[in-house]
Amino acid sequence: MQGSLYLAWRYVRHHWIKTTILVGSITLIIFLPLGVRVLILQSARHLTARAEATPLLVGMRGSPLELALNSLYFGTESPEALPYSDVDALDSMGLALPIPLYTRFRAQGYPIVGTSLDYFAFRDLAVSRGGMFAMLGECVLGARVAEQIGVGPGDAVISSPESVFDIAGVYPLKMRVAGVLAFSDSPDDDAIFVDLKTAWVIGGFGHGHQDLAEASAASGVLRRDSTSITANAAVVQYNEITPDNIASFHFHGDVGSFPVTAIIAVPPDQRSSTILRGRFEESSGVAQIVVPSDVMDELLGTVLTVQTFVLAAVVVLGMGTLATAGLVFGLSLRVRQRELMTMTKIGASPASIRWLVVSEMVVVSAAGVALAFLLTALTASFGPPVIRAVFL
Amino acid sequence: MIRVQGLEFRYQRSDFVLRVAELEIADHERVAIVGPSGSGKTTLLNLFAGISTPDRGTVQTAAERVSSMPDSARRRFRVQQVGLVFQEFELLDYLSVFDNILLPYFLSSALRLDDAVRTRARSLATDVEIADKLARNVAKLSQGERQRVALCRALLPRPRLVLADEPTGNLDPSNKHRVVDLLLENAQAAGATLVAVTHDAEVAERFDRVLDMAALQ
Amino acid sequence: MSRITVVSFVAICACAGGDEPRASTPEAGDGAPRAVVTNYPLEYFAQRIGGGVVQVEFPMAGDGDPAFWQPNADAILRMQSADVILTNGATYEKWIDQVSLPMRRVINTSASFTDRYLEVVGTVTHTHGPEGDHSHEGTAFTTWLDPGLAALQAETIAEAFSGRWPANASAFQDNLTALRADLEQLDQDLRSALTAMRGVPLLASHPVYQYLASRYALDLESVTWEPEEMPSERAWRAFRDLLARHPARWMIWEAEPMPGIRTRLRELDVRPLMFAPLGNRPTDGDYIAGMNANVHRLGAVAAQ
Repeated sequence: MQGSLYLAWRYVRHHWIKTTILVGSITLIIFLPLGVRVLILQSARHLTARAEATPLLVGMRGSPLELALNSLYFGTESPEALPYSDVDALDSMGLALPIPLYTRFRAQGYPIVGTSLDYFAFRDLAVSRGGMFAMLGECVLGARVAEQIGVGPGDAVISSPESVFDIAGVYPLKMRVAGVLAFSDSPDDDAIFVDLKTAWVIGGFGHGHQDLAEASAASGVLRRDSTSITANAAVVQYNEITPDNIASFHFHGDVGSFPVTAIIAVPPDQRSSTILRGRFEESSGVAQIVVPSDVMDELLGTVLTVQTFVLAAVVVLGMGTLATAGLVFGLSLRVRQRELMTMTKIGASPASIRWLVVSEMVVVSAAGVALAFLLTALTASFGPPVIRAVFL
Repeated sequence: MIRVQGLEFRYQRSDFVLRVAELEIADHERVAIVGPSGSGKTTLLNLFAGISTPDRGTVQTAAERVSSMPDSARRRFRVQQVGLVFQEFELLDYLSVFDNILLPYFLSSALRLDDAVRTRARSLATDVEIADKLARNVAKLSQGERQRVALCRALLPRPRLVLADEPTGNLDPSNKHRVVDLLLENAQAAGATLVAVTHDAEVAERFDRVLDMAALQ
Repeated sequence: MSRITVVSFVAICACAGGDEPRASTPEAGDGAPRAVVTNYPLEYFAQRIGGGVVQVEFPMAGDGDPAFWQPNADAILRMQSADVILTNGATYEKWIDQVSLPMRRVINTSASFTDRYLEVVGTVTHTHGPEGDHSHEGTAFTTWLDPGLAALQAETIAEAFSGRWPANASAFQDNLTALRADLEQLDQDLRSALTAMRGVPLLASHPVYQYLASRYALDLESVTWEPEEMPSERAWRAFRDLLARHPARWMIWEAEPMPGIRTRLRELDVRPLMFAPLGNRPTDGDYIAGMNANVHRLGAVAAQ
């Protein structure tokens, strides 16, 4: 038996191209369905975890999915804005802690999230370097943002202009980095956080009297890494809030009419949550309240349906591959007929000849299975972040 | 010692019938079997080895009545008592020279592979001057070298009988003589009975006795 | 809904330059109860009510007027890490829109009487001291000069403390009762000191006494003069015009005016009267002592 295994090993090693193809086929047959499944489950767990950690979301009536994705993952599509007065209204109901989010702007490709300090306590985010934003115009960076653009406390990032020809004439804001958050393994690692008021300044709702005089060319001010320079090549002028001009910064109009893209509502208990949802469902207002975990469950339902189709396709593909692998095996047995005959003549029993052939299949299959499981394990650990980076 | 009595063998779907009324080959004898193609030389060797069994009559090889043994016993007998040398050498091209020599030990549980066997394999290889090629793949050897590997493989389990089917059929004249020398010398040194089928008169002359198929029938 | 974001895996050395020594993440709730205030009267009320349980901090450094304070990031971080942030409200903290504070922990102590806020009329922008230009536009904010409003502010503080630290609620209530008694006494003293001045034309060097005037029905007009800075001739002319229609004999000052001003006032038969607004910590004594000193000076004037 050991001899057969040895011969099988020598055989598969000698015919390594054929072996590689067979192992690859078996790996694919096992890995494809398993990997898809693991990836979906892991991503689903990530999605649901974030959604479940976010009890309620209030936003403008529209797609609950868009509201949830934007508020949880800060995607590029921002939903229609609510007036800030809704945050106060929600607060005065006394049923939930409202955390406003304003996610319209970006800096160097990363979302700028305008919010309140409650957000950090709510998400359990800690500052690892520097401090929390304190003054208008300051920001704190998600850990990955800081790592990727190589910026830290005391440096600055400049918000991207919404379009090259910004008819509103709102200049980008040069924001001082007050601190960097610790890694949280969540979309918060990939965001830039500012006070809601700072986000409003970016949106042109507030300004300082000296801002135009302060506006200057971006070149020479940015950090000298190629990413920043490329990303901000179009920036000619920007606003900056400094200790000298901060006192002159003020907001025009009624703050209650200023925009927020969503409000995270954190009710203290289930009862408050139910009452709050009831109020929104009864009202004929323009706002909607959604339970992110319900929205995500619905999305996952769709994903799982798609998964069923994908798996069916993969099974068909797998059977095809299996048939091909079988054919390759069968053909190689025919080619080896004479060799097996010689073995019989020398004195090998039919059983040991069979075992020899089986051993080859075992060696090839074992390699294929091992590889498939290795790939699945890799998918499990590295897949979901990649999926999130690509799709969200 | 090989003793054949009243042997009759016919192939299925063939008119050919091999009949041998009586034949005896003594221990340590070196016998060449000659005869035209299709006269049943290889069939006779297969009957000696127990690869085929006669329809009638008996074949007794090395004191064993091969013709009436069950299959498993014949296989065990073959692997332990008979060394086979084929015209096409029948080496496995995915194994090294050394592993090819050890092949019977990989194939049958009747043989036990241990260090003594490996040492013996090396010494056999030294005898036939291929000791420096043990690690090589057999596909890279010359025809003469390949036949020497086949010879080592046949002799390694210390068989009492070496059966060679056209052992020089694929060799050029110079190799032919060297291989025949090796075959004769080593069979004798191993104390085995040697029966070789050949159609080459020059080769046949070198054996102790020459059996003509025509005379046997 | 989905968009492909190109993720660059190029690792860039995250060399953090220019790190300032700053307090790291503020998180309220750990350690001793902390309250941060934005002026001295609030500090005093909070200390009285907190009674040693609550550590009260007033992060403004120096002896400037907290009404014109521009807190820096460190001061804001101290506020962010506090359990309670007490503000005066009534537009007192003009910087509040320029900083990031946990709004749920920000307590506007004057929120219970926004209907009693007084508007400032006749806006003048002027220069004084190292703080540069400032204006007295909008709502009057020296609410604590009215002991009745001060008591309401104290109540709001006690309520906030009790809400945050319910275990100490009864102690806070007792402290509030004691403080309120002091404020009532102060109210009576002010009332008796100012009875004689009711309806009498008075002047103020700064428009900061609106709530005082309102409570005790003072006929008060304000200019915006600095004690250490001689007003222009134009200002003196306007002053004479003002006196013509508002014949005041007393002018209330936040601090002792320079001798030159005193002399010229004497020529116009106007005498200075010191009434410390106590926005910042007094050099000695406390809010009550400072107000009592004000009462004492008023009493001396009323006797004349």
